[in-house]
Amino acid sequence: MLERAPVFFAFAEGTLRALARRLRRVTVAAGELILYQGEPGDSIFFIEQGRCRAVIEKPPSVVTVAVLTGGDFFGDTACLLNRPHQASVYAQSDCTLLALDRQSLVSVLGRDRSLLDELRKVAEQRFSAFADTTVQATWGMLLQEATVIGVYSPKGGTGGTSIALNLVGSLARRYPGQVLLLDLDFPYAHAALLAGLVPTSCLARLGDVPAESFDEVLLSAILLHSSGPMILAGALRPEEADDVTPELVTRAIGVLRKTFRYIVVDLGVTINDPALALFDLTQHMVLVTSPELSAVKGAADAVDILLRLGTPHDRLSVVLNNRTLKPAVQRTAVERMLKRPVDIEVAFDGPRADQAALKAEILSLSNPHSEITRAAEALAELIERYHGKLAATGSNGVPAIGHEPQ
Amino acid sequence: MITAPARAAGVVIEHARVSVGRSMVRRRLRAVADGRAAAIEIDLHRGPVDVVGELAHLTARMADGSPPLARLQAAFDRTGACDAAIDGLASRVAVHRIRSARSVGALKAERAVAWVAPLLSADEAEVREAAARALGRIGGVRSADALVRAIERRGATRTLIVELSRAAPDLYLEAALFGPRRAGVIPAVAAAAGLRRRQTAVGPLLALLVSGSRKERVVACRALGWIGARRSVPVLIAAIADREWKVRLSAAKSLAALHAPARGAALEALLADRHPRVQKAGRQAQRRLARE
Repeated sequence: MLERAPVFFAFAEGTLRALARRLRRVTVAAGELILYQGEPGDSIFFIEQGRCRAVIEKPPSVVTVAVLTGGDFFGDTACLLNRPHQASVYAQSDCTLLALDRQSLVSVLGRDRSLLDELRKVAEQRFSAFADTTVQATWGMLLQEATVIGVYSPKGGTGGTSIALNLVGSLARRYPGQVLLLDLDFPYAHAALLAGLVPTSCLARLGDVPAESFDEVLLSAILLHSSGPMILAGALRPEEADDVTPELVTRAIGVLRKTFRYIVVDLGVTINDPALALFDLTQHMVLVTSPELSAVKGAADAVDILLRLGTPHDRLSVVLNNRTLKPAVQRTAVERMLKRPVDIEVAFDGPRADQAALKAEILSLSNPHSEITRAAEALAELIERYHGKLAATGSNGVPAIGHEPQ
Repeated sequence: MITAPARAAGVVIEHARVSVGRSMVRRRLRAVADGRAAAIEIDLHRGPVDVVGELAHLTARMADGSPPLARLQAAFDRTGACDAAIDGLASRVAVHRIRSARSVGALKAERAVAWVAPLLSADEAEVREAAARALGRIGGVRSADALVRAIERRGATRTLIVELSRAAPDLYLEAALFGPRRAGVIPAVAAAAGLRRRQTAVGPLLALLVSGSRKERVVACRALGWIGARRSVPVLIAAIADREWKVRLSAAKSLAALHAPARGAALEALLADRHPRVQKAGRQAQRRLARE
């Protein structure tokens, strides 16, 4: 159980064994209260079996903000941060919980403060995410359906994830709390890592969730970055990538579109079944390539495939990401090979992207002088003109910019 | 020959010296807790100042694992004071065991639980009490287990119940209410759950009130009153008609403590109760309501 939990899985085997020996099994009947909103707490509960419901009680209303299933845990913010519980948790079915009290946790991890600090960091992140994301999402503050933007890079290392993350940053500055990055860059979906977030759940784990609670479980799996963007991990482990089926993706997008304004999907490098399902659901595709021969060749093939799949010319944007100071292939050559113009060119940005990842920052939100920020802003502007408020003000709904194939 | 005024002056000077010493100890402990000093050169048991008492006062509000507590624990670990205190738990002299139990309790030394727990069966009542208090301060599952075992062996005492309510982690008492326990343990656990004042205990206590033994029902009623669980009011009103007068008395006291709209009418029925102590409780409850 501990091995499946975020952060805990990174602990040494000896530490996990010591913690496992301290776990206390508790059975709770359906309907019983497990945690009460506003009360202090001293234990983390892992759900071994059953289903629990987290609710925010603001009389006269009671709002369900998350449905927790086997493998999930709760109570960490009160236990680790000494804050009152944010929500009440009830057993939705007969549950078996494994409880780890603070005293046991401290006595096992006490000698290595870094482990406790890591747990506190995750608890802090979950605290913020819970406070902002789920409540906002559940109360349906956003009424318009989202625009889905796919970011695809046919070759690894071209900076597709970085572009997607910074695009989300730029859009999130315009629409705080209304922009989501869905990370389907398998097998190693690491957008959350680049943003300094530790996912605790993912899309892949929601395949077995019943229809009646799917929305709540999906929304509760979303992480909130402190500067505004939200991230939903596709899978936490490489082997989970297979669990993300086209049906699951379609179902998830259906829910997310009702909640957010923009959904940016990092599609990675492979065109698999979920990616094809996403192509059908996207209103805009962003193709990221770098000025290298193999990357441009892959991009040319991808453009061909996307057009054959029915993507309109003006809903496809090409981003040329210069990863080196002196590119091997010039922009004109790239445009010639792609048979279409490059919409956005990202000038070489030095080590800023790597440094931002180390600092868990999103450049488009932290460094206005970065080349990546400028490109992300330009891309966000372009997307806004097609799909945002600017597009809505057009005389016939047709955006002012666009280009015909050469 | 020492005259009376000179003796009085000596007492005053001694008081002042102890106060200065206490203030110095506090400052040193606070400096270590705040990270302004790494080492601590204080003997826990020597000198006129009750260092353990000062330490206990300081750590009482510190959460387990918090950096200030960790700094203090590390500082006393380095001086060997913590190990000495654990060694002292096995002393043949009762005073040493009491002092050691206070020390490990003040330091919240979880590794000492295994050595403190046997002291709950000591022949000397003072040692048992000190051990129970130490376990209450240390807290956690192991401490709570030891306290429950002590209640099973020797019966419930006020100290054991209070310390169990302090030591028990979340859902421990709620689960213990329905576990296989010896007779007499459940009322003690129910009382501890009431003293802990958590809403999570309301459901199990209500179930106990409906299906428990006489003593269990009595304690469950009181515990619900301590928690202040308004959803228990209908069940408490029903308990006023219980065949056992102690249950009715307990329900009366709890209803008086609850701010429930129906309590006035319910308490009227108590005034006509056939048992004089229940009537008295009803009158007291009415007076209490009138004052509010």
